[in-house]
Amino acid sequence: MLQIELAGLKLRNPLILASGILGNSASLALRIEEAGAGAYTTKTITKDARPGYRNPSFVKLETGYLNAVGLANPGIDYFSEELDLMKKLLKIPVILSVGGKDLEEYEYVVKVGVEHGVDAFELNLSCPHVEKMGAELGEDLEAAINIIRRVKAVAHGRPIFLKLSAHYNYLKLAEEAVRAGISGFTAINTLRGLAIDIYARTPILSNIYGGYSGPGIKPIALKVVYDLYERFRNVPIIGVGGVDSWVSALEMILAGASAVGIGSAIATKDLEVFREIIEGLRRYLETEGFRSIVELVGLAHEEVSNPY
Amino acid sequence: MLLENILGGEMYLASEVKSVIKVASTTKVYRLSYRGLPPSPGQFFMVWIPRAGEIPLSAANYRDGELVLAITKRGKITSYIYDRVQAGDRVYLRGPYGRGFNPPCENERSLLVGGGSGLAPLLFLTEKIRDRGGRCDALLGFESKGKAFFLEEFEALCDKLFITTEDGSIGFKGIIPDALKQILQEQNYDVIYLCGPEPMMARIINSVQRIGLRLEASLERYMRCGVGVCGTCILDPLGLRVCRDGPVFPLEVLLKIEGLGRWWRSFDSRKIPI
Repeated sequence: MLQIELAGLKLRNPLILASGILGNSASLALRIEEAGAGAYTTKTITKDARPGYRNPSFVKLETGYLNAVGLANPGIDYFSEELDLMKKLLKIPVILSVGGKDLEEYEYVVKVGVEHGVDAFELNLSCPHVEKMGAELGEDLEAAINIIRRVKAVAHGRPIFLKLSAHYNYLKLAEEAVRAGISGFTAINTLRGLAIDIYARTPILSNIYGGYSGPGIKPIALKVVYDLYERFRNVPIIGVGGVDSWVSALEMILAGASAVGIGSAIATKDLEVFREIIEGLRRYLETEGFRSIVELVGLAHEEVSNPY
Repeated sequence: MLLENILGGEMYLASEVKSVIKVASTTKVYRLSYRGLPPSPGQFFMVWIPRAGEIPLSAANYRDGELVLAITKRGKITSYIYDRVQAGDRVYLRGPYGRGFNPPCENERSLLVGGGSGLAPLLFLTEKIRDRGGRCDALLGFESKGKAFFLEEFEALCDKLFITTEDGSIGFKGIIPDALKQILQEQNYDVIYLCGPEPMMARIINSVQRIGLRLEASLERYMRCGVGVCGTCILDPLGLRVCRDGPVFPLEVLLKIEGLGRWWRSFDSRKIPI
């Protein structure tokens, strides 16, 4: 009832742990699988280790969270040990989130990922708070497309998702990415934001600005997913941004997402959020008379012909 | 004067430092005026010092709007607080976070075992045990007399107080695990509460396992979010987050932790020696 196929990956349900959340060890990956997720996305991994930004790197706001972790990660060579362990322990697909400052770095990380049995890749061309890595690369159409082409050449046919930002012309980048052979989209990354403490009279994050996530960004994410689905009916989308209940998961799916990313909701509801959403989706399908979640993908669009 | 926080506990709670007392050669006790949710023993706060940084700190006590923190100079931020933060200054708190100690059941006899900055949550626990009419003993360890603190507080609250120092300047000469072995030969306890340097705790956890006592220990790790989403403070192989699933864990869990007392993960997730 909840099984889906996503660019060739088979998922027991459409819930995917979003990148940046609990994505740095195999032990966590196993716990996420046990919590019910359909797939696991690692933290963004770069060629070399990055310590990330100093604390405060995370702050809770009224309608979400602001973080500037700064793509902290141990580097792909070190992380490959965790990938081996994930491969050994996990039944659900592992998606490696890939970051870098240039083509060579992306290529290197993907190559190592292939050697260590990663099931799919997500290109983070949308991190909002690290200069020259992420959103700034995504803004440079030519650089982004070159990365996609090169990565595709070394990915050994494994699906490649492009993680998009709402900050730039995502439809234009998506258009070129489809031409370059992208397998699917992840939309959206966090949005640039700022938090100020009125008594300290200073920005809270050590990096000054960060990426805004949580329920506050859901309407923006929904719009991007809707636009992408409207334009590219047959390219699968992982909808991410503020999903914290089965209702918001359904909104994403109706907008056109085949799968749904779960991230910040874990801060509020902890890992039980996966079971809660799965149960809600099941009850909804039963009471509304659908046999499969796949039937709902993109139903909010006019004249949707079932793409499956 | 700080106005009511209209955001209702989001972001940070600015808290005024009411007093700072130097209690040992590298430790100061900070009393804060705190209007947020009361912590329980073992819970911690993310403490932000604007322009300096943010670190997790366990509450050393809380009563009627007064929160006590013990700062021992260790790293950059604790040194900054120790050297620069004075009475009248503000520090910024989010929390309390995590799961604290499970207090002993009625009539259970407990022994609190701590070293160095690990004393903070144990003092708070001792207060709670006494408030509930319970009784306890404590074994405290320090490098030397100059580094010792909270002795009078524990003395006033505990039936028996055992002290060890590495140089023998007060109490038994030696280290906590050896002193504990001796104490356990003479005294009977139902539960041990543990907080201090992890290599010391690892030794005790392994020896207590053989005796079959109940034990809980509070762990420390690098942290970022404090609410269980970033993964920085992860414990392998169970995938437990010190900030949310802990920081206090029972013996059965502690025995399964990989590298206990030997390594933890740095901010970039690499394993580094403790």
